[in-house]
Amino acid sequence: MATSAPELLPYAKIREDLFRPLSNGSARYWITIAAAMSVIVLGLVAWGIQVRDGMGVTGLNRPVFWGFYIVDFVFWIGISHAGTLISAILRLTDAAWRKPVTRAAEAITVFCLMIGGMFPIIHLGRSWLFYWLIPYPNPRLLWPNFRSPLLWDLVAILTYVTGSVIYLYLPLIPDMAQLAQHNVPWRRKLYRILSLGWTGSDREWHALERAMKLMACIILAVAISVHTVVSWDFAMSIAPMWHSTIFGPYFVVGAIFSGIAALLLVMGTLRRALGLELYLTKHHFNNLSKLLLLMSLLWFYFTFAEYQTVWYGNEPSEMAVFASKIRGPYAPFFWTMVFCNFVVPFILLGIRKLRTITTAMVASVCVLIGMWLERYLIVAPTLGNPRMTSASGVYLPTWIEFAITAATFAGMLVLYLLFSKLFPIIAVWEFKAHPVEED
Amino acid sequence: MADFREQPKLEAAILALKAAGIDAEDLDVFSEEPVEFRRGILDRPSRMSLVAVVGAIVTGGLATAGVYAAQHNYSLPTGGMPIFSFWGTGVITYETTMLGSVLSTFGWFLWESGLLRKRDKNVPIPTVLPGVMCLRVHCSDPLIPRVRQILDGAGATGVARKEVA
Repeated sequence: MATSAPELLPYAKIREDLFRPLSNGSARYWITIAAAMSVIVLGLVAWGIQVRDGMGVTGLNRPVFWGFYIVDFVFWIGISHAGTLISAILRLTDAAWRKPVTRAAEAITVFCLMIGGMFPIIHLGRSWLFYWLIPYPNPRLLWPNFRSPLLWDLVAILTYVTGSVIYLYLPLIPDMAQLAQHNVPWRRKLYRILSLGWTGSDREWHALERAMKLMACIILAVAISVHTVVSWDFAMSIAPMWHSTIFGPYFVVGAIFSGIAALLLVMGTLRRALGLELYLTKHHFNNLSKLLLLMSLLWFYFTFAEYQTVWYGNEPSEMAVFASKIRGPYAPFFWTMVFCNFVVPFILLGIRKLRTITTAMVASVCVLIGMWLERYLIVAPTLGNPRMTSASGVYLPTWIEFAITAATFAGMLVLYLLFSKLFPIIAVWEFKAHPVEED
Repeated sequence: MADFREQPKLEAAILALKAAGIDAEDLDVFSEEPVEFRRGILDRPSRMSLVAVVGAIVTGGLATAGVYAAQHNYSLPTGGMPIFSFWGTGVITYETTMLGSVLSTFGWFLWESGLLRKRDKNVPIPTVLPGVMCLRVHCSDPLIPRVRQILDGAGATGVARKEVA
């Protein structure tokens, strides 16, 4: 429960507290940025080597042609669902407790999509030819394959990125209009341009609230479709343990699950780093923890249903993949995944006495690790155990893939740190809109 | 211009002004946070939902037509199989429909809120203090005494006349 009701704080204090983090960066802030940037540079070097020498520098080889890059792609696109669930669903249901967490969630969505969207391009090898994906008329008479799920991905992610950026931008406008009067000259200019001359008239508020409600409905439908399309990258092939009708909802559930975990982690970090204890209260962590627990149970149910069906069918090619996960070379990853995604959240969040901000963050880290492993276990074992058993193989990633993967995590950190210095991480106008915090 | 700190007083003033013949289009309320009025006080009809649906249909339709044209533009021998299939392009149709909806909603928001339109820079815009709702009434000179009387009677503070430059 909340220890205090932040909405009852004086407006001047709310404004000061939420705008203060925008002013100066501490030494710790810049050291973190520098450390993250060095990891990003390492990733760029690795990508440069891959572009120069070709895909042979990675562990991708016959029969496992999809490795870390596709795992990372699915993982980041999955996390992007944080914004959709927390912001859109809670906005539509008018849950008051969502107010301090929506912007953090919406920012996660945009940054994760930016990062996730890079992976198909990195995975192409010849990244400079990525525009071949776009079905434009050309003299080479290349037939644009609109039936390819990869093209579906392109269209779906473009739609999602566009929608998410607008969904993040719209509620930022009133806050930027306020900031346009109060900050250093270059910021004043930036905020003035971005706030589009917002005056706070009832016509503007009315249009904003209507647009946000509509956008919440639209973005929700888009988000579900995006992760379903990502799942169809797998399910539309007749590979063992991929060709499943529940892959769409299974992926959506996993995506929301990892999205909530990412949001909890980000909120916990921001709460401490920016001194937002009065605004991101135990109440918010408690509610999000319950959601995380619910999604953990749902994820376990879907996983069990998927594996149980395969086991009962006892089809040889499917069982080869199944066995490699349960007791074969991938077993350590599989059982770690079950431990991280189910056992840890179930104990830490299911037992009320153990449910604290710290344990919620611990559970979130475990869930993120578990969900990355889940994506890995979907990609690698199936490709390593194709229907033609003589073509079986093992995937061993090289430092190139590790470096690029690490760089994307560092990239996420840098993007978020920069965002939190440029824009208030909690929507000030939304925060003070209702006088009483809903339980 | 007049400042209000309590919403019921502001609502009473708006109703009285409307009864005195001031059009709702000539009234604007400025605040640092959204003010929700009861129906009938200061309604702002919106066509945003309709625009979102129309934008969705138009963009989705255009995209599907584009896919159809692109697929028939390439000489591909298919052995009698249809080149274009709604099943195969269903995802693209769906996503572009949604994209159209997103873009038209955003575009209409900019239009309806007045952010995109050219504004009359001569009309004064009040500086609103936190917790204050400022009512701007646009009226002709003969109506000014009556408007001032209504605003004072409704409990407004800082009632001031500002000329349109």
